[in-house]
Amino acid sequence: MYRKMLVAYDGSEGARKALAASLELAKLHGAEVTALAVQEKLPRFAATIDEVQEEKEYAEAYYGKLLEQARAQAAEAGVELKTLLRAGHAAQTIVQVAREGGFDLVLVGHTGLSGVWAAFLGTTAEKVSRHAPCSVLIVR
Amino acid sequence: MEQVWYTAAAWIGVALLASLLSIRLGISVALVEIFLGCIAGNLGTTFGWTIFQPTPWINFLAGFASVVLTFLAGAEIEPEAFRRLWKPSLAIGFVSFLAPFLGCMAYAYYVGGWPGESAQIAGVALSTTSMAVVYAVMVETGLNNTELGKLILAACFITDLGTVLALGLLFAEYDRWLLIFAVVTLVALWRLPGICRWFFSLWGGRVIEPEIKLIFLVLTVLGGLAVTARSEAVLPAYLFGMVIAGLFVHDKVILHRLRATTFALLTPFFFIKAGTLVSLPALVAGFGMLTALFLMKMVTKIVGIWPLCRLFGIPVRESNYTTLLMATGLTFGSISALFGLTHGYIDQAQYSILVTGVIASAVIPTIIAQVWFHPREVSLGLQEEPVVLGTSEHFLHMPED
Repeated sequence: MYRKMLVAYDGSEGARKALAASLELAKLHGAEVTALAVQEKLPRFAATIDEVQEEKEYAEAYYGKLLEQARAQAAEAGVELKTLLRAGHAAQTIVQVAREGGFDLVLVGHTGLSGVWAAFLGTTAEKVSRHAPCSVLIVR
Repeated sequence: MEQVWYTAAAWIGVALLASLLSIRLGISVALVEIFLGCIAGNLGTTFGWTIFQPTPWINFLAGFASVVLTFLAGAEIEPEAFRRLWKPSLAIGFVSFLAPFLGCMAYAYYVGGWPGESAQIAGVALSTTSMAVVYAVMVETGLNNTELGKLILAACFITDLGTVLALGLLFAEYDRWLLIFAVVTLVALWRLPGICRWFFSLWGGRVIEPEIKLIFLVLTVLGGLAVTARSEAVLPAYLFGMVIAGLFVHDKVILHRLRATTFALLTPFFFIKAGTLVSLPALVAGFGMLTALFLMKMVTKIVGIWPLCRLFGIPVRESNYTTLLMATGLTFGSISALFGLTHGYIDQAQYSILVTGVIASAVIPTIIAQVWFHPREVSLGLQEEPVVLGTSEHFLHMPED
């Protein structure tokens, strides 16, 4: 049924469960899976380009490692995992990538890393489920 | 002596808190430092604390920070992109400086009743475009590697050049010292790329950092000459950054170490000091002027830049986006306002209005551009392909249908 799945991956417990679910579904449906990591904490309204570049390099190294681990996990499960790394607001970016890439299922963990803000503003999973152009599976 | 350590501890404590908040909130450390500095300074005024009043050594660190920040901004130029897009970037960048400079200066002088030199500082501080704010937005939207992104960055560079030239030349004393400063600077700019290249290859790569010390030496010598000529030390710093930008393309390690030194020791003192001098009562009293100057900056940027973007064939939505990004400002605006306050061209109330206006221009146009005017002209080839990190081994694990 599903051909192209996008799993949001930030290394949190929820994201790891979502990744595991996506790998299972990929095997069931013979679907293509892409893991998306979003660099959410790039400094806004920066005073120097240097600050942005250094933070970006740090985030790329951090998320690069996470995605490498995800690829290894997928390889063990016998699934090809494509990976994407984007900068921006988590929910907005997930929805945008889902739309641009023509994905037919987005998987997100029930809770991500932005715990404190989520209590006030809603979780990334809630926002993605409201705005995504396709089905959304929130994994608990 | 004991007091120096307590003062240093208080300022470094604020800098540390600002770093942690910056990481948690995803907002630049400079903005958080200004905000915390403002709170600390105003609490100090209310309760009679002296610990957050700038001292001579804090003033030196803050002043040196502004010079190094300007140097780093100068070193960000991409010569290749500028050569390719020189015509639109020069036109847009120049108008982006001139229109708000003249507009805000005229408003402050004729409507606000500010003295001539205060009005000039207002014009310079509000003429700026923040290359860093623009760059951060474009990294998020993936535009930094597109033609439109490079055009906007090159134009920002020209605007900043206009700002440092205005700051360096408007208030200078036109005498023999200015001539000496100009000649020495020109000769230095001509010879320094070669000297630095030779010096870096011969003495570089050591933990005692001879390269950074050479850069600091050049900045302090040229800065000293600039101040003697009643010019401003940021002018030669920006130009020096421009001429040795090429060296940093090949040697990222020096740049990384220079950034570490600057962010750890220098910039916190500049931005916290910039915040401590903002008077909240003055801000409340001058709220009308603040709003008017902010709107004047926005209007003059729009009137100046948008038609030029259209003239150079940039589509409407991208023109809106470019105009809004070029209307941002932060570092150079703060440097200009602090320069004005330090030299007595503006008072603390005027300074508070200008710095707040500059910060507002970093935040408001950025949000508007991101929310309503994000470019969507994919067919122009402006959009980057998503980065796919993966190796051939992954294709060996393709599921069999």
